Amino acid sequence: MRYNEMTLRYFESAPAAGTLDGPQVATGTAGERQQGAWVQFQIRLETPADGGTRIAAAQFLAFGCPHTIATAAWVAEQAPGGPVSAELPLPVEALRRLFGVPVEKLGRLLVVEDAWRAVIATASARVET
Amino acid sequence: MSRPAYFDHASTTPVDLRVAAQMGACLTADGSFGNPGSIGHAYGEQARERVESARAQVAAAVGAEPADVIWTSGATEADNLAIFGLGAHAQGRGRHVVTARTEHKAVLDPCRELERRGWEVSYLQPDRRGVIDPDRLAAALRADTVLVSLMHVNNEIGVIQDIAGFAAVCERHGGVRLHVDAAQSVGKCAVDFRACGADLMSLSAHKAYGPKGVGALLVSRRRRVQIEARQFGGGQERGLRSGTLATHQVVGMGAAFAIAAAERESEGWRIEALRERLWRGLARQGGALRNGAPADVVPQILNVSFEDVEGESLLAAVAPEIAVSTGSACASATGESSYVLRALGRGERLAESSLRFSLGRQTTEEDVDRAVSAVGGALARLRRIGGACATTK
Repeated sequence: MRYNEMTLRYFESAPAAGTLDGPQVATGTAGERQQGAWVQFQIRLETPADGGTRIAAAQFLAFGCPHTIATAAWVAEQAPGGPVSAELPLPVEALRRLFGVPVEKLGRLLVVEDAWRAVIATASARVET
Repeated sequence: MSRPAYFDHASTTPVDLRVAAQMGACLTADGSFGNPGSIGHAYGEQARERVESARAQVAAAVGAEPADVIWTSGATEADNLAIFGLGAHAQGRGRHVVTARTEHKAVLDPCRELERRGWEVSYLQPDRRGVIDPDRLAAALRADTVLVSLMHVNNEIGVIQDIAGFAAVCERHGGVRLHVDAAQSVGKCAVDFRACGADLMSLSAHKAYGPKGVGALLVSRRRRVQIEARQFGGGQERGLRSGTLATHQVVGMGAAFAIAAAERESEGWRIEALRERLWRGLARQGGALRNGAPADVVPQILNVSFEDVEGESLLAAVAPEIAVSTGSACASATGESSYVLRALGRGERLAESSLRFSLGRQTTEEDVDRAVSAVGGALARLRRIGGACATTK
């Protein structure tokens, strides 16, 4: 399979790959290794003095094809400094085009999206409590 | 940046320089460019002599008679000619074929086409080593079986099947015809068409350092095998495969097979040592499972499943350093992993995360060490990204 430049760059460099530690860290996962795609996001939130909770740090782990790893890496890289939002930095279809993901592999991007929603849901619940 | 080290010789091989030189002598005005079918002038006769010399070389390399050799465009055409040609001739006696689920698509697809035409096909399953026991074949034969088609060397794991055992079973069953796809065999293991008792055998040039676009079907005259032609228009090749012969191609195949037969043993020892060096290096990475029993496998092929990595990512990660095939013929998106590996007892994920390393004439120790380093680096990185903790053995 051929991969576009974005996929190759993020697959090979995998920025933000790893885990976060500490009580302020929220974790969200989606997918199954046995199904060929599993993604975990972890985020740490911060609330500056001027208010407005935002994401201070984000890391990911991913088991899957290069498209899965590359898009998860990109999402984690984009997250710090952003709002606590269940929306990906780009809609899934735009993400698919950016990384040249074949339509038949759209399900892999949905795993990335589900993992992101899961980590935001966990983090949001903590903020509310 | 240097090219990746080539570990895909089971897919195709580069043309040997000695072969290319002989092919070149058949192309231009100062060479044997004539139509080998032309009679009555020197150009045609010169080309015909080259063709017949090549026919004798191919026959000698595989223990056949020159008259057994029918030139084709490759092993796929040979498989099709064998299956449909025998089927057309024998359909009055029965319409049942036996093959294996682990065959190449060049056999499986014609068998499926026969099924669409109302034939019945039985698909044998190999044991966990990838081997098909002749007794399993015996159990599948029926009164209306007219053809058995089984490969000699499996293209994915390199396992060598007991062709003589299959032939004996066919013989005991009233002379059911046996076709053998031997596309992977020449240069990798001994091939003796006459002694093994097969009726038909498919051969390929480009798996043995010959050119792409040429192969042969051996049709045993001694065993009085009859098939019907599938291509018409000139009556070449005993009327079984019409069309002007490509002199340079068949000369290339003849030269390649002569070299392969002469160098097989010495080359085999060298390559087997390299393959074992490769396996030892890969095994050190942890979570590496060898597919196929080494004693039953040709020296050139090593198939390994890797735990805790996804197959497509593993292939992509090593691609800058080595050219290798996945054990599966699929992209991970389709989810269909290798049936051969699943038959060995590998789960779907392991079948998908497998690499087939096929070594060849140009493979060096440096290539092997580069492969070990590339795979080791990729495994460590992908397992870390995937959050897996594989045990280093």
